[in-house]
Amino acid sequence: MITAIKIIFYLGPLIFGFGFLAPLTAQIISTAGWTLPFGLTPLIAGLMIGGGLGLIAQIRGTWI
Amino acid sequence: MSPTIDLSQLTEAELIRMEREIAARHIDKFPYFSVIWAFTNTAIWLSLWPLVFMGVIPLWLGFIIACFNITLSYLPSHEAQHDIIAKPGSKLRWLNQLVGHISIIPLVLPYRVAKYTHMEHHKHANDPEKDPDYATHADGPLSAIWKSIYYRQPRADGGLNAYGSALERIGRPDIVLDGVIYQLIHFGILFGLAWSGFAIEAALLWWLPRHIGLTYIQYYLSWAPHHPGNESGRYRDTRSFRSILGNIGSLGMQYHIVHHLHPRIPLYRTPQAYWEMKPILEARGCNVHEL
Repeated sequence: MITAIKIIFYLGPLIFGFGFLAPLTAQIISTAGWTLPFGLTPLIAGLMIGGGLGLIAQIRGTWI
Repeated sequence: MSPTIDLSQLTEAELIRMEREIAARHIDKFPYFSVIWAFTNTAIWLSLWPLVFMGVIPLWLGFIIACFNITLSYLPSHEAQHDIIAKPGSKLRWLNQLVGHISIIPLVLPYRVAKYTHMEHHKHANDPEKDPDYATHADGPLSAIWKSIYYRQPRADGGLNAYGSALERIGRPDIVLDGVIYQLIHFGILFGLAWSGFAIEAALLWWLPRHIGLTYIQYYLSWAPHHPGNESGRYRDTRSFRSILGNIGSLGMQYHIVHHLHPRIPLYRTPQAYWEMKPILEARGCNVHEL
């Protein structure tokens, strides 16, 4: 249990990127009514942007 | 006693006696305002969710109110941390603990974590090794804001991230679990809302206001009253200061030196206690020149 919690916290930025930033980005795109290139859906774009930011923060250890 | 009277000729014992007499007049006053503030503030923040979701108020207004709510959420709990509402064993102790727990839920800061680390801050203010809030020390206001944000990053070793090691050092690693549970619930709710189509609402009613609130709180409760923070000791580890936003805008921290000297004086009585004590503080060589 403790090991699982430690892993969750260690992967915090990545989980936050996919768990929160991805749907947040998707909702912002949908609300703004932006048309995405290459036929991307807002959710796919959100997963790419949110997940990408999360991955960068995971590697760097910081969001800023 | 006039705030300008010179007491520098008095002995140590006389200064102590006078200081204690003043403090005694302000301790054990029930802080009605803090108790009402705790429940009202939390209720308003909770009510924002249905009000925004049902379209009764616009999201931008909810965001502004949430920023105020979360910034204001810490201080009632701070009164409880110092047993100001009710001492252990007293009839209203349950109220003290309830306020302590309830008021900082929006800040996602467990009461026990806040209390134990705050007591360490009082014991070791400005000690780079033992003061859990030492990471907020900075050269100036902008640097203080930057450090507040910097030390909230995933692998930073200061700020709230340092609270775990402070709890382990004092032999209470069990309390770290409170923080873990709070974080898991907080992010679980945020993720659940986000994937249910309410990501912007979750971001603007909780996630972003919490970061704004934490920055404001760390600036005015931690950095400003201890700046420059290079001395330790009862009369030297904090100060009074003049805030451009006044005492209310600084969350009542202009008179923080009184709080460190006598932590059981309620927040609302620290200005009066300060002006009564000021000649004593000056005679002690305290940093009270700004106010």
